[in-house]
Amino acid sequence: MKRLGSSAHPPSLADWHRALVSRRAFLLTLAGGSLAALFGAPTLGDDRPTGDEERRWRVLDVVQRHLLPSEADSPGAAEINALGYLRFVVQDPLVDADERRFLLKGVDWLEGLVQENGGGSFLDLDEPGREQILRRIAASASGENWLSTLILFLLEALLSDPAYGGNPNGLGWRWLEHIPGFPRPTPDKTYPRLLA
Amino acid sequence: MSTDFDVCIIGSGAGGAPVAYSLAKAGHSVVVLEKGPWFREGDFFKDELACCRRSVYTPRLPDEQHVIEERDDAGGWRATPTSESGWDFWNGNMVGGSSNLMSGFFHRLKPVDFRQLSEFGPIAGANRVDWPIAYEDLEPYYDKVEKLVGVSGRVSPHKNAEPRSSADFPYPPTLEHIASTWIDDACRELGYHSLRVPRAILSQPALGRRSCEYSGYCGSFGCASGAKGSARAALLEPALATGRCEIRPHAKVSRLLSDAAGSVTAAEYFDRQGNTRQVDAKLYVVACQAVETSRLLLCSTGPAFPKGLANNQGQVGRHLLFSAGGTGSGELDYAAHSAEQAAQLRLMGPFVNRALDDWYVIEDPQFAPGRRKGGIVEFLFAHPNPTGRANKLKWDGEGELLWGLPLKRKLESRFRSGRNLTFEVFCDWLPTDDCFVSLDPGVKDRWGTPVARIRIGHHPHDLEVGRYLATKGEQVLKRLGATGVKSGISGSPPPNLMAGGCRFGTDPRTSVLDPDCRAHEVDNLYVTDGSFMPTGGSLPYTWTIYANAFRVADRLLARLGKIPATSVAGAT
Repeated sequence: MKRLGSSAHPPSLADWHRALVSRRAFLLTLAGGSLAALFGAPTLGDDRPTGDEERRWRVLDVVQRHLLPSEADSPGAAEINALGYLRFVVQDPLVDADERRFLLKGVDWLEGLVQENGGGSFLDLDEPGREQILRRIAASASGENWLSTLILFLLEALLSDPAYGGNPNGLGWRWLEHIPGFPRPTPDKTYPRLLA
Repeated sequence: MSTDFDVCIIGSGAGGAPVAYSLAKAGHSVVVLEKGPWFREGDFFKDELACCRRSVYTPRLPDEQHVIEERDDAGGWRATPTSESGWDFWNGNMVGGSSNLMSGFFHRLKPVDFRQLSEFGPIAGANRVDWPIAYEDLEPYYDKVEKLVGVSGRVSPHKNAEPRSSADFPYPPTLEHIASTWIDDACRELGYHSLRVPRAILSQPALGRRSCEYSGYCGSFGCASGAKGSARAALLEPALATGRCEIRPHAKVSRLLSDAAGSVTAAEYFDRQGNTRQVDAKLYVVACQAVETSRLLLCSTGPAFPKGLANNQGQVGRHLLFSAGGTGSGELDYAAHSAEQAAQLRLMGPFVNRALDDWYVIEDPQFAPGRRKGGIVEFLFAHPNPTGRANKLKWDGEGELLWGLPLKRKLESRFRSGRNLTFEVFCDWLPTDDCFVSLDPGVKDRWGTPVARIRIGHHPHDLEVGRYLATKGEQVLKRLGATGVKSGISGSPPPNLMAGGCRFGTDPRTSVLDPDCRAHEVDNLYVTDGSFMPTGGSLPYTWTIYANAFRVADRLLARLGKIPATSVAGAT
């Protein structure tokens, strides 16, 4: 994935190193790290998938709704079709393959952590319970990386062109009073088709 | 002797296209080999994901990457592949190159840039030199770019104005934002002299292209109207119209073949299907952008060039340049303005078009004794890409991740409250022994070719100049009422502003190219991108690259002979 930044000067080297260390840690985890390494839990160490595919997506849906909640006067994950957008992302070959795998794998690790701490599923937790477990995840570098990646794709769903499946009818743009440019991509001119 | 083409150009951007244009117009046959795809205007949209969040206009890093060497804490150098770091050093791999994606604020170099060593003297640890040509040699070609590429602006008397042969620009300035007048006022109050910056964007229909449509999304985006003076729209389209220019997209040149006599005999490339192909020509022009040009020459060993083409003196890749400096910003709050002003401030589309070059040469004893080379401060609005903006807001002041309602409130506050006016500082990236291109010994691209390893050391003097200029930019933003004014100067190179690596000069022991940008060691090889620059100047390079490529094209024409106009349909 490209780094952001169209301005002439990128972030400082120190910024880059911070990102680099974090990214390396997360790749290391992918290469064989354990739950303890990823989310700072004491033990478990099993990276095998723990749920079926649809269950994973149900968990992702709930995590997204927690990270960007709906309100009466502003959209949340549900209104911006964040889950549908994320399905597009995980099938997009232009998104780093490790990152896509990490997104899904993180669900298994999240579920494992919930089980480690009293059993059940993230789906069964109440609002404070979800917040508590996500804050615990965010305390580790790699767990923070997982949440940060999820938030990034939530924000893409919120503010990228509706042609990609999120931000229906420019809902996110209207909420934040953002003025899009023109011409806008039509569904037949989204980048996967341009590159075909 | 070749029979395929008169000239083979590798790279279709600002360095290659002027040669294609000039030679094809004059009746010569030209082939342009471009690694990237061929997007037309109908393929360009204001699509943040395509422009800036996915590798649509640049290669995927796992397929093609660089290895970056930067200084570690122990005084050594640490090498990191960009596929690990995500630090992308590609700029625009497509027909027309990264000129498709430029913002188009255009500056000529100034006469002092051609003689930095004579004007300012040596600096310890830097390898300053004078250019082998003078501003006067390049001026006619700057002028040519104004007319052929299409530069909009208006000349006004100015202390540091460069000499020019035309009275004014061929096209009036683009529409300007209300903030431009605020910058003018603030500068006047501070005793500074704001400069109206020309743009390589058509302000009216001309040259077979449409006028700017003022969408407000310009830099980083391809231009759907054709108003932006990209190498593709401005030069390759007319070159194609002659019928004598052929462009081959998806043609990744892996090496230039050469014979025992030291002449290039063919360009070898992979086509889209991965098949190896060759094309030959009388003359070869390399213009792949600085890093990739050096890489290609280093990869092109031959019987007369065991260390790489034109590299028997070990000069290829040395003295890579970026643009030194940094950025600053301040918030223009809607609430601090009248309703009418706030409405004007919200307006997207018109350009800021303002810079300060009062300190292009710094004569300030508080900074340093004597005369020092300075730079410019360019004003512009923050990039409008919303996802990029929002993603930066997900961290709180303590570096903790925000989500839920706190994140939503922060998004509302920052997006709705005002506009972010920024400035960019451009100053010289001094040439040193610590900034160069070599071949990585282990990492290869998807075709099995060694990737470029880039050492990115900077000279500490660059930061001193940058900080001096940034304080001036901050003063202007504060004067015009911006809040939260801040700036940052760093030695981190901007990958979209690169030059050097194949210096031109008169001494073959210390330069790769002669003053005509022909390789000292290879009679039929020219380099026409920014690689030739031995010092950078304190400005974006694109106008200079265009101009120099036109200059070199004239040398090629003189060498090949101009085809009589009567026998060349379409020649002008």
